[in-house]
Amino acid sequence: MASFKYALRDTFRLICRHWGLSILTLITAASVLYILGFTALFALNVRHMVSQIEGGLVVQVYMKKGEKPDDVYGKVKTNPTVTSIRAISPEEALDRLRAKLGNQARAVTLMGENPLPWSLEIQVQRAEHITPLVRDLVVFPSVEEVIYSGKLVERLSTISRASAGVSATILVLAVIISALVIFNTIRIAIYSRKEEIEVMLLIGATKTYISLPFVFQGMFLGAGGALLAVAGLWATYASAVNAVRSTLAFLDIIVNQQILLQFFLLLFATGATMGWMCSWLAVSRFTSRALRPR
Amino acid sequence: MDIRLAGVTKVFEPDIVALEDIYLSIDKGEFVYLVGTTGSGKTTLLRLISREYLPTRGQITVGDVNLRKIGRGRLPFYRRDVGVVFQDYKLLPNLTVFENVAFVLEAMGIPPRVVQNRANEVIDQVGLWRRRFLKPPQLSGGEQQRVAIARAMANSPSIFLADEPTGNLDLRTSEEIMRLLLSINAAGTTVLVATHDQYLVDAYRQRLVELHNGRLKRDERRGRYFIDGEL
Ligand SMILES: Nc1ncnc2c1ncn2[C@@H]1O[C@H](COP(=O)(O)OP(=O)(O)OP(=O)(O)O)[C@@H](O)[C@H]1O
Ligand SMILES: [Mg+2]
Repeated sequence: MASFKYALRDTFRLICRHWGLSILTLITAASVLYILGFTALFALNVRHMVSQIEGGLVVQVYMKKGEKPDDVYGKVKTNPTVTSIRAISPEEALDRLRAKLGNQARAVTLMGENPLPWSLEIQVQRAEHITPLVRDLVVFPSVEEVIYSGKLVERLSTISRASAGVSATILVLAVIISALVIFNTIRIAIYSRKEEIEVMLLIGATKTYISLPFVFQGMFLGAGGALLAVAGLWATYASAVNAVRSTLAFLDIIVNQQILLQFFLLLFATGATMGWMCSWLAVSRFTSRALRPR
Repeated sequence: MDIRLAGVTKVFEPDIVALEDIYLSIDKGEFVYLVGTTGSGKTTLLRLISREYLPTRGQITVGDVNLRKIGRGRLPFYRRDVGVVFQDYKLLPNLTVFENVAFVLEAMGIPPRVVQNRANEVIDQVGLWRRRFLKPPQLSGGEQQRVAIARAMANSPSIFLADEPTGNLDLRTSEEIMRLLLSINAAGTTVLVATHDQYLVDAYRQRLVELHNGRLKRDERRGRYFIDGEL
């Protein structure tokens, strides 16, 4: 317990001793994490919009006249990307048509018999699932026609994939940059106390006792940077939501508090963990070398 | 704790033989001078005992611990039981006398109030009470030496190693420090002092171990000297 208190005191001293460097590190970590958070939020929103549109993505399969859709139905049912299938009988299709056309519907049945074929309505999870599905469907000889919103679907899935890719790249870059910056700051702090640490090891301080202040410092920088980034993102996002609502009201931006909260918590945890790991790495490398007997 | 060296040889890369085939046995509570010309291996021997170095050949046991087998996790706890006064003091220049002593105790996880009492006690013992808020660069050589001693005795180690504790000091100050070391020994601590000081060795007669070019040249058990009529 006393050790913990001493460690906190020493952390405070370390940060004050290199306050310029500490602030610089804090700002760097904050900006990098801000950029990371911003891209991630952007990607999340793109995904959200795409999935919103995807909810309405339906592939319609029209059978040849007189063909039953049973074998197509069986095949589609085993496809894991399909969320729902509905077979529509000629009678049901006619009812729908009547409902849609009202009085003019009589023209359809003038010939005496129902001219409409069997059809299937298939829903898939993602836009990118549609193209392979369509490829599977057109090979059935009993299928007359497959109708889907082809170009839109392809474009959507490209956008979605690209934004995920960009945010993943930025994630990797951001983590590497802030890890390096924090690692380096801790290393400078360690070297400024090099003598002290060596003496402490000689008189019997444990590795943990020596590491603690540096690890705390690293966590402070990582978590502090993340906190600043979250504050910045919060402000930016709030104004972005307002701007979108007043000008591009048709865009469906994420305003779910819980999702945003989870996202910010994740960002904070990322910062803190990164600070912890970097500083621990830096300090344990140093103490291990100093403790090795010659 | 007793210290046993059996066939200890220390070779520094590539071919500096600092110690060669040393057999030495020091009992608990003994006071031993370690003498010898410069470069004869005194500091090396002390560093082997504090496990800064590992012997190239041979075994060192302290108490029931074989220093070759001691693990990373146990090393700090071993070192807490071995107080060392380094030849170059190794005081931290930007800490005060008090802080230099206190941080050793803090590193053992001792609560602040106890640290304060104990640090003040040893600082008083070495006669630096009125200097306790000065920093090492503001102190004279003898005062720095005494801070180093206070730091080494702060956590009451079983073994006390002093490397030239009277180097560069005048006779009066040297005698003061000798008396300090003898009083530490009188409390039951095993004390090993590396020194060049022929006068002290003769004036305060204790067991004398002499090294010459890394070999054991002489091991004399002479009459024990007790300070101020204590017996
Ligand atoms: N880390 C080291 N690397 C290489 N050689 C070393 C090392 N430490 C000591 N030596 C050599 O070992 C020999 C013994 O050195 P040591 O420091 O033990 O002598 P000493 O008896 O303490 O001398 P002094 O009285 O001058 O302090 C010397 O020749 C020295 O150069
Ligand atoms: Mg020496």
